[in-house]
Amino acid sequence: MNRLIRAELLKARANRVTWVLTALAPVMCVAWAALMVLLPEADGALPGRRAESVYSMAQQAYVFTLLLGVLGTAGENRHRTITWQFLVSPRRGRVVGAKLAAYGIVGALIAVLSGLATLAAGLLMMGAAGQEAWSPRAPAVLLGSMLAVTLYGTFGVALGALIRNQVAAVAVALVWFMYADYLLVSFLPDLGRWLPTGAARALGGMPLQGSELLPVWGGGLLFAGYVAVIVIAAHALTLRRDIT
Amino acid sequence: MSAISVTHLGKTFGTVRAVDDLSFTVERGTLTAFLGPNGAGKTTTLRMILGLVTPTEGTAVIDGVPYRDLERPVSTVGAVLEATAFHPGLSARTHLEALRVAAGLEAGRVAHVLEQVDLTGAADRRTKGFSLGMRQRLALASAMLGDPEILILDEPANGLDPAGMHWLRSFLRACVHRGRTVLVSTHVLAEIGQIADQAIIIGTGRLAWQGPLTSRTDLEELYLEVTR
Repeated sequence: MNRLIRAELLKARANRVTWVLTALAPVMCVAWAALMVLLPEADGALPGRRAESVYSMAQQAYVFTLLLGVLGTAGENRHRTITWQFLVSPRRGRVVGAKLAAYGIVGALIAVLSGLATLAAGLLMMGAAGQEAWSPRAPAVLLGSMLAVTLYGTFGVALGALIRNQVAAVAVALVWFMYADYLLVSFLPDLGRWLPTGAARALGGMPLQGSELLPVWGGGLLFAGYVAVIVIAAHALTLRRDIT
Repeated sequence: MSAISVTHLGKTFGTVRAVDDLSFTVERGTLTAFLGPNGAGKTTTLRMILGLVTPTEGTAVIDGVPYRDLERPVSTVGAVLEATAFHPGLSARTHLEALRVAAGLEAGRVAHVLEQVDLTGAADRRTKGFSLGMRQRLALASAMLGDPEILILDEPANGLDPAGMHWLRSFLRACVHRGRTVLVSTHVLAEIGQIADQAIIIGTGRLAWQGPLTSRTDLEELYLEVTR
């Protein structure tokens, strides 16, 4: 298992796409953080509330770890390299397990990078704007956001294992997290906390269109549960299929 | 025990009967030519032996064990299946290195197999720019990584130029000389007829002919006769 994880990391490191997405993630977070700094203060907002919103933008790196997970898994089908994978490790579940671990690690690195960039940019920009740049909850917001970004990497792997067509897997991932969850929430606000987006946002305390969220631990468990369910579905539906 | 034995193997894809009640054995240290028209079920059979395709019925075992249960699969069997199956953005060396790490083989193996297939000079180029012949050689290098005693090759001659064919022939001869077992599917009958010990010919998924080849066998005539 360790060997398979190391092989996955080696491939990820050698692939230019990994580096491009890793470089874009903190840029995206900083851009969102800047937007939060520029927004006018809501009337009667608690002091430090703005700092929390700014730091929760560390979670915007999610789309990059999600994509890397999808590409790292469904990409093996696209390039037909899955054949080599299953020749080396005929126990296919292990291959998926190794990818979950590897893209968890890659995701964690991107999460830390993005978290630090968001923190630095937030301190600088809020300081320059003369805003309250800290809150006692800020560390929890940052850590939760980083955990969410990490978990999105594993979500991508699960999705890529279930949906073997790379284009379809990328499309489902993007539509799901950029549109579908938000659309559902706008119709059914109470559903928000149970959706993957709501679960991930609960981790970093990032609000979801006014929908009440689960506690941090509940969001984390629910999101991990989503990953587990998709992996189990992949085992049952697509993983055992013939590689022709 | 035979190196490879296939017993009453069958595979149905939807309504298509790809392989039907196929049985044969490949003995240790021999080179077996696996022949048949396009679509006869050769690739499906080889993929069933390698655990990539699940048979509808029957069994295929290597040293008496199904591929999926082999302790060290790539050190037991090397396989070349798809010449184009490389990540275009990775170099030949990275591709081999990832396989080596995943299989837990020693570090020197990558340089060794690159040397074996004459790819050392191109090892650090992305496979995107590789010619078909280079891909075939990289695929062979991947198969040789675990220094396996058994090789299963699906049309390794595909896309090779005359120099490549010459190279492949010496490669296969060297394998046999070293006592490896080779099961190779090909359409290049004249080439394989010179070096194969036995031939298995299938047509529409069924065994058409199996037997030893001698220097007097006209493989092409035999092939055309039994696959008609």
